[in-house]
Amino acid sequence: MLAIDDLTVRYRTAGGEIEALSSVSLKARKGSTLALVGESGSGKSTIALAAMGLLPAEAMVPSGRILFDGADILTMNAEARRQLRGSRIGLVFQDPFSVLNPSLRIGDQVGEGLVHHRGYTPERAFARAIELLDEVGIVKPEAVAKAYPHELSGGMRQRALIAGALASEPELLILDEPTTALDVTIEAQILDLLEDLRVRRGLTMVFISHNLGVVRRIADEVAVLYAGQIVEQGATEEVLQRPVHPYTKGLLAAIPRIGRRMGRLAAIPGRLPDLRNPPTGCRFAPRCPFATPDSTNPQRLLAVGDRMVRCSSAAALRDTSWPVQEEAVVAATADRSASEPVVEVEDLTKSFVLSRGALRWEGWRPVRDAVSITPVDAISLTVAPGEVVGLVGESGSGKTTLGRTILRLIEADSGLIRIAGETVSDKPQSALEAMRRTAQIVFQNPDSSLNPRKTIRELLGRPIARFGLSPKADIPKRVDELLDLVRLPAHYADRYAHQMSGGEKQRVGIARALATQPNFIVCDEPVSALDVSVQAAIVNLLADLRDRLGVAYLFISHDISVVAHLADRVAVMHHGKMVEIGPAEQIMNAPSHPYTIKLLSAVPRVDGPALARREVVAADGLA
Amino acid sequence: MAAYITRRLAFVVLVLVAVSMLVFGVTTLLPANVAYLILGSFATPEQVHALELKLGLTDPVWQQYLRWAGGFITGNLGESTLMNRPVGPMLLEAIQRSLMLTGVSFVLIALIGVGLGIAAALRHGRPLDHGISVATYLGIAVPEFFWAIVVIIVFASWLGWLPASGYEPISAGVWEWAKHLIAPTLTLVFGHLAHVSRLTRSSMIEVMQSPYITAARAKGLPERVIVLHHALRNALLPTITVLALDFGRLMGGIVVIETVFAYPGLGRLVVFSIQNRDLPTLQAAILVVAAIYALANLLADLLYARFNPKIRFGRNVA
Repeated sequence: MLAIDDLTVRYRTAGGEIEALSSVSLKARKGSTLALVGESGSGKSTIALAAMGLLPAEAMVPSGRILFDGADILTMNAEARRQLRGSRIGLVFQDPFSVLNPSLRIGDQVGEGLVHHRGYTPERAFARAIELLDEVGIVKPEAVAKAYPHELSGGMRQRALIAGALASEPELLILDEPTTALDVTIEAQILDLLEDLRVRRGLTMVFISHNLGVVRRIADEVAVLYAGQIVEQGATEEVLQRPVHPYTKGLLAAIPRIGRRMGRLAAIPGRLPDLRNPPTGCRFAPRCPFATPDSTNPQRLLAVGDRMVRCSSAAALRDTSWPVQEEAVVAATADRSASEPVVEVEDLTKSFVLSRGALRWEGWRPVRDAVSITPVDAISLTVAPGEVVGLVGESGSGKTTLGRTILRLIEADSGLIRIAGETVSDKPQSALEAMRRTAQIVFQNPDSSLNPRKTIRELLGRPIARFGLSPKADIPKRVDELLDLVRLPAHYADRYAHQMSGGEKQRVGIARALATQPNFIVCDEPVSALDVSVQAAIVNLLADLRDRLGVAYLFISHDISVVAHLADRVAVMHHGKMVEIGPAEQIMNAPSHPYTIKLLSAVPRVDGPALARREVVAADGLA
Repeated sequence: MAAYITRRLAFVVLVLVAVSMLVFGVTTLLPANVAYLILGSFATPEQVHALELKLGLTDPVWQQYLRWAGGFITGNLGESTLMNRPVGPMLLEAIQRSLMLTGVSFVLIALIGVGLGIAAALRHGRPLDHGISVATYLGIAVPEFFWAIVVIIVFASWLGWLPASGYEPISAGVWEWAKHLIAPTLTLVFGHLAHVSRLTRSSMIEVMQSPYITAARAKGLPERVIVLHHALRNALLPTITVLALDFGRLMGGIVVIETVFAYPGLGRLVVFSIQNRDLPTLQAAILVVAAIYALANLLADLLYARFNPKIRFGRNVA
């Protein structure tokens, strides 16, 4: 159906040419699902754009062919390409929140391909759009067709996008991270829907994802990309259960797994090679624990059994597994129940008024029924010193609001907050000095939480000076200590945030929180924006810091496996209520609340029995 | 939506009341004696007193204000102290002519400005974009009266195609009427293009890079549909707000333009009444300008709501 042959793509940038893809060859057989897996910078999205003929103007294609049904997409004229797009090839993008036009109705956006490719009238296309919305499992298709994107939830938008891509009955569907922005339960529904559509319509799918668990659920075949090259390709179950290429091994070892709570995750050290000038030898060699002198020679894709691997030592490495780091020395865990909790929260409640509601009359009295939500609804929680309490739940469940309300970054409506034995809920903001020092926060996105115009030294020195924690002359030394603590080299102190990678920035974010020597940190999705291999290193760092410094975390994440790995106790939130809390093992292995069971069953896993294909779940909340 | 419009209308009324108080306050509480101003420095105290009684200037200020503001509601805008004619009909005539001028200019500014903005955005960084930038900046950087003079020299003196100044009613023939409008319109349009075209350009560039445009491309839509249907709708939102502000600037611009082209409209009436201390005319004219400005902004807000579904109220799918 789709055959990519020796494709190389370079991007012209201000800093020189970047080779995003280096002679990639792929084949998607009719009616099958091919998954492309890789971390950021691997080139997987470039493949999707190239296959659609949508490469940006700064892209160059020095070599390669992309054959769709025998015709080369790269050499055909623009008009022929346009007629292929959305007609015979459909594309579903990653972020359903930004790929729908905010000022057009859903029905028009779903049906417009039909107007331009099949000559439908707009009215007929709209009617067909309603049928398509119905087909992808939207409950009130007529109402949704007339709605605008902002009126729908993420899951519904993704369904609408899929409906739009299916409108002209394409033979090939390319999906670029279609579930990454969605909650796990919605993700499970979308995966079911895709599987169902593939069977019913005989679709060929190219599924791009960084999530190996998701890939395992949907793909027949998987190609692992690293730095613009395919490093391993083969049948999904084969590759995921018995990886041969060191990168694939590392990637799989870095994933935290539910029900396997060991000391530390295996992280892949180092970072992507500079693609302006890629190494001629193995591109993974600098990060590879199995590298041999031979690795500096050009590596070709070699057949190993039924699969292709780009590693000259492939045969020797077949049965070797990724080296697991030494078990970190776990600090003597004091009896937590005996000591006084570092955080105590009782009956904490916070609600937001969404709108004042419509005006109506009760006799002569004007009445408004205000619409409000309560993201934190009578929550009680304690955190012991050095304890990690994991907080899981889907988007909108109130996790972030709870974390911020405890730190009084958001003011609670009612309830008691006690931090380090001091009641802080009844104090004015001006009297929170001591609490601000003992309780800190690490944000999800270091890009927006680190001031881009300040050096790391200034960023870290500021809180030290602000709280007078060390004499002015000692601040540089203290900054060095902090960098050392988060394992960044001392010369990073003079860098700006944009000069660092995502993982490094998050380390600075953690160092900033540690600057005041707090004993409690709210970690609000600290690893969600990071690649798997980097995520493992940050999770390990957080675990080390807890052991060394005895600092306690409220660890907020939508990724249940990360929480399961790190947390001592896990709290599950749903619609602002805490539905379940208990020791991590108990929650993961024997959840008692129905919502926790549903949440856990939706998590795609890379090991254990593959999930049984379930009934297509139609129900989906309206925004 | 109805509630939204009602609320906004109430707001406009509030603004007008505030403006009327301001206008009345500034012009009435001047340190000098109004009657004295009108009669000139040779007036006798008896004459001044007689005029003060006639104008009601001896009454308390709030009574004077209410009488004056009440006049607006009943349609009696007082009498021009200079021409001894009722202000109302005189003002109405001037407004009609000025609205003709500004209306045509405004439509052209919107159409040409948005058009140039789109063209520049689609070719951004290339010669056409730079050309449009330079031309529109030239228009806004040099004062309007300069362009007015250039237009007069070129079209009236050299080419002799257009009259240099004046006004002809439409009853004197459509061509005659139009001929007198072209020169001032041209000047106004040229001076106001930059705002609209620059803003449209930058928001269009931003929108064209947004994921939903790539998504529209992925659907294989023709480029024309992508630009006009998908992009423009979103790119125009900030432009709409600026257009309303520009309408206000136009109302200011006509003061200069009408004076240069001797066009008997609202702007010239304002200048005339200032020069001749014709307070009733001045007060009424300023209030009318404020009203037009407020209504233009109201209209912009409503259009904005029309194009941006996110601010439409009280809708829920479920």
